[in-house]
Amino acid sequence: MHGQSFDMTELHRAPPPHPAEIDAHDEAAWRDGLKDGMPTLFGIGAWGLVVGVAMVKSGLTVAQALGMTLLAFAGSAQLAALPLIAAGAPVWVVFCTAIAVNLRFVIFSVLLAPHFQHLPLRKRFLLGYASGDMTSALFLQRYPSEQPQRGKLSYLTGLMYPNWAAWQIGSIAGIFAGSAVPAVWGLGFAGTLAILCILVPLVANRPALVGVLVAGGVAVWGHALPYKLGLLAAVVVGMVSAMAAEELTDKLKGMRRG
Amino acid sequence: MADWEIWLTIAALAVATAATRASFWVVGHHINIPKRVHEVLRYAPACALAAIVAPDLLLDPAGQVHFEYSNLKLVSALVSVVFYLLRRNMLETIIFGMAFFTALRLLHVF
Repeated sequence: MHGQSFDMTELHRAPPPHPAEIDAHDEAAWRDGLKDGMPTLFGIGAWGLVVGVAMVKSGLTVAQALGMTLLAFAGSAQLAALPLIAAGAPVWVVFCTAIAVNLRFVIFSVLLAPHFQHLPLRKRFLLGYASGDMTSALFLQRYPSEQPQRGKLSYLTGLMYPNWAAWQIGSIAGIFAGSAVPAVWGLGFAGTLAILCILVPLVANRPALVGVLVAGGVAVWGHALPYKLGLLAAVVVGMVSAMAAEELTDKLKGMRRG
Repeated sequence: MADWEIWLTIAALAVATAATRASFWVVGHHINIPKRVHEVLRYAPACALAAIVAPDLLLDPAGQVHFEYSNLKLVSALVSVVFYLLRRNMLETIIFGMAFFTALRLLHVF
């Protein structure tokens, strides 16, 4: 720094420290991550348990269910895939559905990636792959600025590793518990309830509500279409309706102002 | 589905996770996404989840729509959504919803 001109704004403009230095393990930041993520771990484990039960109840073998939780590691996409697998939908329809459900992660990745652009490609890929909703949301709360900073990587992994472990432990417990529970208990319904809990916060405004109602209606109307195409049609028509509703509300707001 | 088809589907799900979550991590630098694209990214997940749940709640195995009280899944789901809106807690909602659904089923209320 330049002696008397040193102040906070100067600190922000200072060149970033050497990458090796900012990415060194920072025990305090890691513990902060663990601490901030702790209250969510029980919920994550329980949500994993529900998905684990739903997987075996929809007809997957224990080996398939274990493979799915370890490889796919995305609860809502897994739940969305289960009825399609049970109905014998083609693999590409399941894939497109999973992509649609996962598109919210693209927004997270746009926001998270610039924080870690100096890391090697393989590491960036793995960190992105393991960043679920909770990890992304809590990280962005703590570090809104993209400036490289010591402890960021440790904080992220402090959130991520326990989150991954809680999810897998819950999920694996659910797989084994689910295969022991009789089907008449209707435990598969817990998966539907879990989807509703994910869905409700996504309906944050009126255009989203329009989209959700239209998508639900089209899905019911088109349920008998071959290859489960009614589902993909529902997503596309619902999305277009939501965007049209947004345009319309924007226009109405503009007219009221003018 | 045959065993190998299910494994292929599981692999496809893994690709769907990696392709969405790691997308811009692989690109690396800061990107401003256009408004239209942002709208698609924001509304698609809600629409996809609604499209999954709606047939499950409204249709019987024969494909008939049931909009009445005797549809226990629909009644339980609507009550659970209200519960979630009040409590904002997924775990409590699942436990409440399952208890409610089981009670309706066993007590033959409707």
